[in-house]
Formats: sequence, C-alpha cells, structure tokens
Amino acid sequence: MLTRTPLVRTTLLAALVVGMAACGTPAPTGSGGGSSSPLTVGISVSLTGDFSNTGKAAQLGYQLWADQVNAKGGILGRKVQLSFADDASSPTQVVTNYQNFITRDKVDLVFGPYSSLLTLAAAKVANRYGYSFVEGAGNGPSVFAAHLPNLIDAGPATAINGAQVWGDYILSLPQSQRPKTAAYPSLDDPFSAPTADALQKRFEAAGIQTVYSATYPAETTSLGGVIAKVASTNPDMVVSGSQDADGWAQVQAMIQQKFNPRFLFMTNGPENPVDFPKNVGLPNTEGVFTSDVWTYSAPIPGNQAFVKAYLAKYGGAPGDIDSTSAETYAVGQLIEAVAAKTGKIDNQTIISTLHQGSYQTVVGEISVDQYGAPKGTQFLEEWIGGKLTIVYPGNIAEHAPVVPKPTWP
Amino acid sequence: MHLLIQAIILGVLTGGLYALMTSGLTLTFGTMRIINMAQGVFVVVGAYIAFTLFNYLHIDPFLSILISTPLMFGLGVTLQTFLLRPIRYDAHRLSLLMTWAMAIGIEGILSIFYGTDFRGIITSYQNTSVTVLGYQFPLVRVLAFALSVAVLIGMWLLLSRTKFGRAVRAVSQRESAAKLLGVNTDRTAALAFGVGAATAGAAGAMFGLVSSFDPASHYDLIGRLLAICVLGGLGSNAGAITGAVLLALSESLVQAEFSPAWSSLPFYILLVIVLIARPQGLFGVRSRGAI
Amino acid sequence: MRQRLLERRGILIGAAVIVLLALFPLSGAQSWIVNIGIFTLMYAALGSAWNLIGGYTGYVSLGSVAFFGLGAYSLALTFQHVGVGDGFLPFALVPVIGIAVALISLPLGFIAFRTRGLPFIIVTISLVIILQYCALNLTAVTGGAPGLQVPQAPFPPGTYEEYFYWAMLTVFAVTLLACAYVKRSRLGLMMFAVREDEDKARGLGVATAVPKFAAFAGSAAFSAMAGAVWAYYLTTVYPQFAFDGEFLAMGIILVAYLGGIGTLWGPFVGALILTPAQQYFAYSLGGNQFYLVAYAAVFVAVMLFLPRGVVTTIGDRALRRHRRRISALEENGRQAEAVGDVAATG
Repeated sequence: MLTRTPLVRTTLLAALVVGMAACGTPAPTGSGGGSSSPLTVGISVSLTGDFSNTGKAAQLGYQLWADQVNAKGGILGRKVQLSFADDASSPTQVVTNYQNFITRDKVDLVFGPYSSLLTLAAAKVANRYGYSFVEGAGNGPSVFAAHLPNLIDAGPATAINGAQVWGDYILSLPQSQRPKTAAYPSLDDPFSAPTADALQKRFEAAGIQTVYSATYPAETTSLGGVIAKVASTNPDMVVSGSQDADGWAQVQAMIQQKFNPRFLFMTNGPENPVDFPKNVGLPNTEGVFTSDVWTYSAPIPGNQAFVKAYLAKYGGAPGDIDSTSAETYAVGQLIEAVAAKTGKIDNQTIISTLHQGSYQTVVGEISVDQYGAPKGTQFLEEWIGGKLTIVYPGNIAEHAPVVPKPTWP
Repeated sequence: MHLLIQAIILGVLTGGLYALMTSGLTLTFGTMRIINMAQGVFVVVGAYIAFTLFNYLHIDPFLSILISTPLMFGLGVTLQTFLLRPIRYDAHRLSLLMTWAMAIGIEGILSIFYGTDFRGIITSYQNTSVTVLGYQFPLVRVLAFALSVAVLIGMWLLLSRTKFGRAVRAVSQRESAAKLLGVNTDRTAALAFGVGAATAGAAGAMFGLVSSFDPASHYDLIGRLLAICVLGGLGSNAGAITGAVLLALSESLVQAEFSPAWSSLPFYILLVIVLIARPQGLFGVRSRGAI
Repeated sequence: MRQRLLERRGILIGAAVIVLLALFPLSGAQSWIVNIGIFTLMYAALGSAWNLIGGYTGYVSLGSVAFFGLGAYSLALTFQHVGVGDGFLPFALVPVIGIAVALISLPLGFIAFRTRGLPFIIVTISLVIILQYCALNLTAVTGGAPGLQVPQAPFPPGTYEEYFYWAMLTVFAVTLLACAYVKRSRLGLMMFAVREDEDKARGLGVATAVPKFAAFAGSAAFSAMAGAVWAYYLTTVYPQFAFDGEFLAMGIILVAYLGGIGTLWGPFVGALILTPAQQYFAYSLGGNQFYLVAYAAVFVAVMLFLPRGVVTTIGDRALRRHRRRISALEENGRQAEAVGDVAATG
C-alpha cells in the first residue's frame, strides 16, 4: 500500500493529461455567419438503445431536405451542412451532444432529437444559449408544459389535439349510430395515455359510457390479459392509446380472442402502411381507424414531390416511407420558410418568425402557440380494402368511413 | 369467472415460454456459477434467425429451430471459449460485466444488420385460436407452450441420462471433486453454455412468433428472467419453471382482473417475501457458503 | 512515524488533485468540456460509492442506480411540492437528500443482505426494477411516465455548467474522503474481513452486519447525492433514466473495474478514462450504429486484459520493479560484504 501512493499519483497525472488532451483538442472554428460559409446544423438522433426505432428514418428525412436545398443553391446562398450524433437513447448523452454542437462546434442551428423523452433536456440546453429548437418528435403535453420560448413543434398537431379528429367524427354521427360504451386500453408513456385520456373525457361528456380504462407499462410483452378484460366488458368502441408494437399486440390478441368491437380506433400503429399489415395480417386491417399527420397519398401541397424525391434518393415503395421522415423534412421546410420570409437566418429570427403565422409543409399547415404547441389537427384514416384511406374530415376524405367494423376474417 | 379462467389459460401458456428461456440461465449458473446477462439477447438472436429463415427461405419457425439451435449452440461454445474461459479465475464477478458486454455487443451487431424496427414472425396460423368450452386458446401460444415443454423434457433427459448430464451435475455440486474424478470442467462449462444458448435459440423462435421484437428487446427480457431465477432458486430447474409460471400467471391475472399498470408488482412482492423468508429461493438449496 | 508521514503525503496529494480539479473550469475550459467534466465526476462519485460496497465488502451491488434514482426523484419532488427557490438553494438540499436516502436504504439492505454472492446481485437488480415500476405507476406522486420537470437554474450561459461541476466535484470529494477514512479505520478492516471470508469473520466475533450496512447506506447516500445534482443539471427526471438498471448500472461497475476495485483512486481513474471517451465517441462517431459495438469491445478488452484495473496493475508492476531493485541492492550489498570479507581475511 505504502509503495503504491506515488504511483497512484503518477497514474492520476497521466490520466489527467490524457483526459484533458482528449478534451482539449482544438475545436473546428465555427462558421462566423458570413453569407458564403455553410449553414451548419447539429442534430442528435437515437441510433442505438431503447428509442432507436425512428432514429434512422429521421436521418433520412433531414438528409433529403438538405440535399434538395443544396441542389437549389442552399439557404440564402449558404449550403446546408448537417452533422448527426448518436445519443444512444440516453439523456446524459443528449445533453452532451447539444453542448458539443453549440459550444464546441458552434453550429448555426440545432434541430430536435428523435426520441421524445429526450426532447426537453435537449431543448433546455438550446434555450440556455438562445438557440431555436425546431423539433418533430416531442408533442406530448409535458413538452409544452415546460413553457420554453425557443421550442417549436413542427408537427401540425399536438398528440392530444391530433387524435381529437376521432372525437369529431364519432360525435358527428347521429345519436343512434354512436357507440354506447367504450374501452380505453393505453400504453403508459407521455403521449399515448394523455391522448386516450382526453378522448375518454370528451366521450364521457357526450354520454358514452366508459366500461374499461387502464394503462399498461411499456415492457408488457403480452397484452392477452388486457384484451381478455376488455372483451369481457364487451364495449361498442375501443380507443387504444397505442404506440407501435403494442398496438399490433392488441390487434393480435383481439383476433385470437375473437373479440370484434364495432369501432376500433388506435392512436398509433395502424398508420404505418407497411408494418401494420405485415404484423397483423392484411385481411385483419379492415375497418381499423387511426389518425395521422402524413401519409404518402395525403393531398398536401408539395407532398407528391416529396414522395418522388424520396423514392429517387432512397428507392423502395411509397408505402415504405416512414412518416417520421416526412416530419423531419418538414422541420427543414420551416427553416426554409423563415429565410424566404425574412431574408435572414439566425436563431432569434427563427424563433420570432415561427411563432407567428402559418407555414405550409409536407405534413400540412403549421402554426404554433407561444410555447411551440401546434394548433392544427390530424386527419382520420381507415383501412379500407387493404389500403390506408383518409376518411375524415370530409374536405380531404378519399372515401367515406366504413362502419361498423367488419368481423375479423 | 370466465375472465379469470381465460387469464389463467393465457398466463400458463406464456409461463411455459418463460420457463424455457430461463432454463438456459439456470444451467449456466449451475455449471459455471455465472449470471449470464446475455441470455436475453440470445433469445433475441434466436428470434432473428427464425425471422430470417421464415422470411427468406419460408421455413416455418417450428422447423427452423432444427437449424437455429445448432447455430446458437456453436455461438455459445465460441463465446464461452474465447470470452469467459479466460476470466474463470474470478468468474463470479467478472462474468457479470463480460456477459453484459456480449449482450450489448450482439445488440449492436443486430441493429447494424437488421436495423432497429420492430419485427415479427407472421405465419398463416398467427391469429388462429382454438375455442374449447368458450375459452380461447391462441394456437401460436399453445404450440409455443408445447414446444417449450418438449425442450424442457429433452433438457431434463440430457441432464439425467447422459454422460454430459452427469458431468454437469458433478461440476455444479462440487467442481474440485468433479475435476478429481476426471471430468473435463472446461469442456463441460463450454458445452453447458452452448446448450444454454441453444435453448434460448429455440425459445427465441417462439418469442418471435408470439410478440414483436427489436434488438433492444433483450433489456426487458433479462430483467424478468433474472427475477424468475431468484424466486425459484438459482440453479434449480423446478424453481425456474415454477418462477416462470408464477410470473406469467400473476401478470396475466392482475392485467385482467385489476390493472395492467401494476401487473408485475405482485410477482415482485412475492419475490421480496420469499427473499426475507427463504433467501435461497423457493427451490434453492443452501449448501455452500459461497452462495 | 514513517507511516504517518506517508499518510499525510497521501492526504496532501489528494487535496491537491481536488484543488486542481476545482480550478479546472476557471482555466478557460469551454462549456462543453466542463459539461463532460460534470459527467466524468458523476461517474467518479458513483464508482467510488459503488466501491464502498462492491470493492470493500465484496458485495457486488447493482443497486447504486436505485439510490441514484431516489436522489434524483427526491430533488425533483421537493421542487414540485415544497419549492426550494432556485439558484444555489437546491444544492443545499443535496446532503439532506443523501442522509434521507441512506435511511431509506437500511430496510432495503435488510432484504438484500438475506442473500450473498450472485443472488445478491440479482436482488439489487430487482430493487432497481421495482423502484422504476413505482416511479412509473405511482402517478400521483411521481408524475408517472411523463416524468418530472425541474426548473432550469438561472445561471448565465458560459458559467452555467461550472456551478454544477463544482457541486458534482463536492459530491465526489466527500465520497472519496469517506472512502479514504473508512479504508484506514477499524470499520474498513471489518469490511475487508467480510470480503475475504464473511463466515470466518463472524466466527471470529466480527459483527459483520455493521460494516455491511455501513457500506450499503454510505454507498446509497453518495449515489443519491450524485443523482440529485444530475437531476438539477438535466432538469428532467423520467423513470427509465433515473432508474436505469442497464447502462448506468453497468457503466458504474465498469468504471470501478477499469480503475481497480477496492483501490481509493481507481473509480476516479476509470471515470477519467472512460466517460470522456464514451461521451465523445457517441457524439463524434457521426451517428452510426457502431457505437454500441465499440462500447462492448471496451468492456471485453478491460475484462480480458485489465481485469484488476489500471491502478492495481500499474501499482503491482511498480511494486515488482521496486522489489527487484531492492533485492538487486541487497545482492550487491551481499557481494560487497563478501568482497570486504575476502579482503579482510586476505
């Protein structure tokens, strides 16, 4: 022990030197903001870990936008340069990534991370340095409750408002056709459960009786028990606050238990035109409702061009495009809109401009309130004839809603 | 009442699968005195192998386990030989980190090859269920349960009737004595780790049939499997099976009768009670001071 | 006499390192470096706290994270329900949280210490899982899945990170001091006795419960303090991150192993090597999925080639060299004596 002490010191010093040297490598000088220097943008995405499902799709959307903008000569003559970092689905890493983007690499702009739970921690770092924070992933109530002045959600609707389209539709039905009873099984996360909750309150106020309402934790691998309980209450309508895999599991359990509600609405899951039919079987999709901000066939200005460009760059079929890619593409479009409107591109301008007016993107018309919450709503989709079809509101509907839901084949 | 029985049916069917997943963990604990944190990821690898064989070669998962289990056995033996054997002098502690490193390394490799989307093995009989007396028996779960039971019986035969089984039992009872009796303990450990991985491979095919998975699915799995092991008693097969069925049953019952949010809690309460009253687990034997 | 001198030298060196670390943010280091410094010190503190139980008593615990999470939630909840003001006041809360969590840890320790060895590890993992469950489901208290928000401290940008850095440094320094004290005390001897052979120690009349619970509670207190500072810095507390039984739990142990478990400075050295590298690579690998594989490779390399840690390995090597030099000197001396003898007789 005694002989070891000076050695510990040597090790310490060596480690200190190594550590500091590793940290202290000179940072590349930030672009001063001159009109010819590139417009650098830092984005953290979850490519590994628990939230890595959408990270890649987010990257594709951003990259497509940057390529297109650069082909047109950039923003105000400045080429867009994106740099991505992996946050490994960790809040500690996401803070480091935005710190590094802002104070080390001195990027011009940052965009939101692609993990909803990481949005707030990252947005607060950006806020500290006066950076605008346009994001497409965090639209749960807790994000806007933080009252951040720099945050702007690029989706056209908050999670809660988005799904209200289902409420609008059901309550537009004559009393005799409305469901009398409803069940609300939902995933316990910051988006799904509050969304199902809001719908429940609205339906209860309209006289639809709640026969079941419960949240299940994210790690629930088998939803058989939940659906068994739902089936035993035999509701006319099931409103599932689902995310993705859990939504498929709910449908599978319903089929297996031969339980067929007259109305089935799921907040998330069925909006994926590839994975949903793949995982529940195409014939079983018939009559399932969901709401969404984007689909490849949505009659939104610029959407067709986006789909075409996406397929030209990445290949595949239109149905393969994840709506996350469209949302990140829309983040870029907002930045473009600010530059076009003001002739300037800096954080303060982005913040002040985007908080007023509304902007057309591939995911629809976007306008936000003072805390960045979008004011719009989503559209209602239903699986009809093996195809995801917009059915409500009427002005953009491709088909009238088909109710009641046919029995499982 | 109907709901209660339906929930029990679903719970028992799921429990069988958990038992199979846990059996490999029990075996490696018994022979090598290590906690294999990679058991969850082995299950996920098994699911991906079955997924690949089903989607590209259209081999049914129940058949493809004939391909995947030998592959997983080989993977297990390789990993044991190159990564675990060198640290056997302090396996007790070092293996925890080493098997954890295997788990995240394999997760990383899977996400490079398969991406991080959720996958599922969707067969033609995916949503079929058999109705008996008004109760629903989902076919995939019944088959997965049957296969799990079959593999568990096979494991039991392997351990009780073969030379390898005798070696495993000898090593797990007293390693030094087993060595003196001429048992090649290194070889036994490698084989046991391989068999553990192989059972995970079979369980993975079933897991892929009954639920969706992504490379990160192993985090949830391993937590459950470890808890099952402790409840049943580390190293005890009967304990693993009992623990697995108790976990799945209590989850299913609480989900259906009470609230899905708290579905795992009764299991954990039971776990705490068992630990206070009988720290070695339900079926564990308190033989050695080392445990 | 010589022992005391050396001890004093050790204290002086330790104090010098802490002072150097404290001066570091003032040396013109940019915010992003200080930010990495905060997480490095967090891992150093957590690793040292883990060392107290895992290194000194030999009880490998994954429960540090449970107490880290309790600390984080305690801070966020105090903000929510009591209102502790902003700015520096919440830092004053950190030691209180440490003591409170230490008290909470005692009954939990009672359950965990029913087991030993491998079952103990799994029981401590279960503890993390159970607490995460509670955080998710006791919505009325913890806010459930949407987590809790802590108001951002009103420090100006540029120096914002520095306050958290010093707070985390204080937590680390206190942890280190406690470890150093324990190591030299009777309590430390009892802990080592438990590690070597608990049954024999008990047979010899050592009240083994005392060192075990002291290590468990101490470890809990320091982990909770680190968690509280972390929560205030990040401003968001979610169940799956506060009670992260995966990366955080394993990261803590890896840091301790890399540095050398059971050594005083090991966890610090481990954190100093690992945390900046990890944070930096996840950032700079440019968003591809190789990060996880690289991280796993580091684990494997440490386990295979440096299982006893940097501090221990270097220490041993130096010790061997030292011994060689001494024996060489003795050899020379003996030869010289022999020559002298010959000369005298001749």
